[in-house]
Amino acid sequence: MNTKRKFAAVLATGAAAVALAACSSNAATEATGSSAAPAMSASASSSMSEPFGPACSSVPTDASNPGSFDAMAKVPVATAASGNPALSTLVTAVGKANLGDTLNSAPELTVFAPTNDAFAKIPKADLDKVLADQATLKKILTYHVVAGKITPDQLAGTHKTLEGQNLTVTGSGENFKVNGTATVVCGNVQTQNAIVYIVDGVLMPS
Amino acid sequence: MRLIPTARGAYAALSGLLAAGLGLASALLVAAIVRPESSPLVTIGGTIIDATPTPVKEYAVRTVGTRDKPLLLLGIGIVLVILAMLAGMLASRRPLAGLCAMGLLGAVGVFAALTRPAAQPFDVVPALVAGVVAVAALAYLRPRLPAPPAPAAPAPGPAPAPGPGPQDPVWIRDSHVILGQDSGDFPDPNGIKDGAPAGDGAAGDGVKGGGVKGGGSRRGFLVAAGVVGGAAVVAGGAAGVIQRAKGGAAARSRENLALPAPKEPAGPRVTTPDFYTPAGKFYRVDTALTVPQIDVDRWRLTVHGLVDHPTTLDFGQLLDRGLIERDITLNCVSNEVGGPYIGTTRWLGVPVAGLLRAVGVRAGADQVVARSVDGMTIGTPTEVLLDGRDGMLAVAMDGRPLPPEHGYPVRMLTPGLYGYAGSCKWVTELELSTFDAYDAYWVKRGWARRAPVKTGSRIDKPAPFATGLTAGPVTVAGVAWAQHRGVRAVEVQADDGPWMPAELLPVPSTDTWVQWRLTWQARTGGHSLRVRATDTTGAVQPEKRQTPFPDGATGWHTLSVMVS
Repeated sequence: MNTKRKFAAVLATGAAAVALAACSSNAATEATGSSAAPAMSASASSSMSEPFGPACSSVPTDASNPGSFDAMAKVPVATAASGNPALSTLVTAVGKANLGDTLNSAPELTVFAPTNDAFAKIPKADLDKVLADQATLKKILTYHVVAGKITPDQLAGTHKTLEGQNLTVTGSGENFKVNGTATVVCGNVQTQNAIVYIVDGVLMPS
Repeated sequence: MRLIPTARGAYAALSGLLAAGLGLASALLVAAIVRPESSPLVTIGGTIIDATPTPVKEYAVRTVGTRDKPLLLLGIGIVLVILAMLAGMLASRRPLAGLCAMGLLGAVGVFAALTRPAAQPFDVVPALVAGVVAVAALAYLRPRLPAPPAPAAPAPGPAPAPGPGPQDPVWIRDSHVILGQDSGDFPDPNGIKDGAPAGDGAAGDGVKGGGVKGGGSRRGFLVAAGVVGGAAVVAGGAAGVIQRAKGGAAARSRENLALPAPKEPAGPRVTTPDFYTPAGKFYRVDTALTVPQIDVDRWRLTVHGLVDHPTTLDFGQLLDRGLIERDITLNCVSNEVGGPYIGTTRWLGVPVAGLLRAVGVRAGADQVVARSVDGMTIGTPTEVLLDGRDGMLAVAMDGRPLPPEHGYPVRMLTPGLYGYAGSCKWVTELELSTFDAYDAYWVKRGWARRAPVKTGSRIDKPAPFATGLTAGPVTVAGVAWAQHRGVRAVEVQADDGPWMPAELLPVPSTDTWVQWRLTWQARTGGHSLRVRATDTTGAVQPEKRQTPFPDGATGWHTLSVMVS
């Protein structure tokens, strides 16, 4: 039992005896609630690191706010995005493209999520045209999605999107750019089925 | 009080640490022998968990995963070490206050034991033992502390201020001596180096007498400390050995648990793939930070409240009531449209209805409150449990005793209700009550009191974002459910085309999901597929999107696919 050893090592000599029994399996009998609980995600077992990036600080910290990291981590990705006001244009686009359930149902994804400001960089006439054209919209949106969860340490590199073409991420640590144009402003955001990297530009497939 | 880090301070801290260690080790030993749940670490840990706000708890589970409990215990251990050392240092100056402080640590454990929801009268004993032993050990060690430059007062009572001088070595250096030096180095000139020649003389006494009177000798203190520390290690080690042996026995007892054959077996197993969800893949949604480990021989079910004959059953008595075997689909209210928190398996259990009739439910008792071993409560309408459905106290799934994470040894199961409203895991208590009188755990948090499963359906094939679909016939398949009402029809729509009826595969009862499939003539391009079910009352699954909160999500599952 590794935990036991670590535990014992931390405590001073006199308390070592305490540790021996403390970590035995039966010590855990009295946790808090149990049973079929509606509000908690099933496999809350990820030992993920924290989100990073300058825009993360604007995310609500109150866990009861659906836009908070805590709330987002408990629901699938499209539902999570709909709780975040800064992603409302994306959510609208996902709705028009009929992609919400598909994003929610996929087992593991990585999503590059453009902010409202990113969409605002597109001239309004063009944006409205794209939003009205489901096929083009789908193509653009699926270009923002990669199968599997890409953790920050695997982020730099070339990834094949669900649209079919590749996107390229450059950078390291907490500074990344996608396709050389869009900057990751808040990365490593956990949702139930996807890791989200919020970006400040809409990515365009060729 | 000033706590100046002196050599004597270090010894005093060590005395507190050893005393607390022996006290706690004794408590763990008592708990391990009699009732592991009564360990002060567990009761204090449970109290802390209960006092922790839910978001923090969820954050903890997400961040550290299954290591949360060891980390919590580690935290408690560190705090205890610090407090014990402070108590020891306090005792070296003000014996009565120090002993009281040590006793207070035990009192915290007693308080925690008394206030646990599942507390039993015995539970205070280990904490009491811890307090008494720790105080006694500290009282034993305190007079044996190495003397400060001035001779120490031999008798209990306010000790003279130690008056540490600037020449005193820093306690860290001195603690190296304590930890690093083995007994072979004694006697030695350290006492002189420390400027405490009086101690050296006492050490000489210690060699002959095997004990030290009145304190003052470093050697005498270390001998006494060794006695206490050794006892702590022995007691703690014994507690660990006993608990491991018991834990192994509990695991073996589950492995070897023999369940009688059902008096009402289920029919032949459904043979289509994926009808049954393997136990290892069955969704798990609960608030238990760690899975309760319950010894089936200690398990009891108490049925009480508004009943004529309150009853307590042990596991054997429960089984003696006779088992039924059923295929039942269970789903979680927090499942999103198209989500994974639904599963079907073959359950074995004792009918709840028969038990309720045997205890005599009183008029007006419209709610059955199930309580788990760790204090979760789940409220189920009495009328639902008595309306003829196969509500059961389940003991097995998929032909094996319940896995620990699914409620071993016994969980409730109410077909047709979301889990939070009828399927309490690790159940130990059924209280007949009323909805007016009592709100169960999730109801207190805003979820609906009554939660029948809403008619739903899901597309499983093609997979989300499936690639490799080619134009021509494509199989679309999935599941639909309306437990206890039954599914009459499932339809699929591609884009804005007509609704196409799906073929429904045979099911054992209305309490399971229905597998459906159809062949879709796919054309090249991107398409949206969506599904809806109709239950046997003729009600079509609602199209309107609704979140899982407060009584279950609604909406037609819609999937995007690319056909090349």
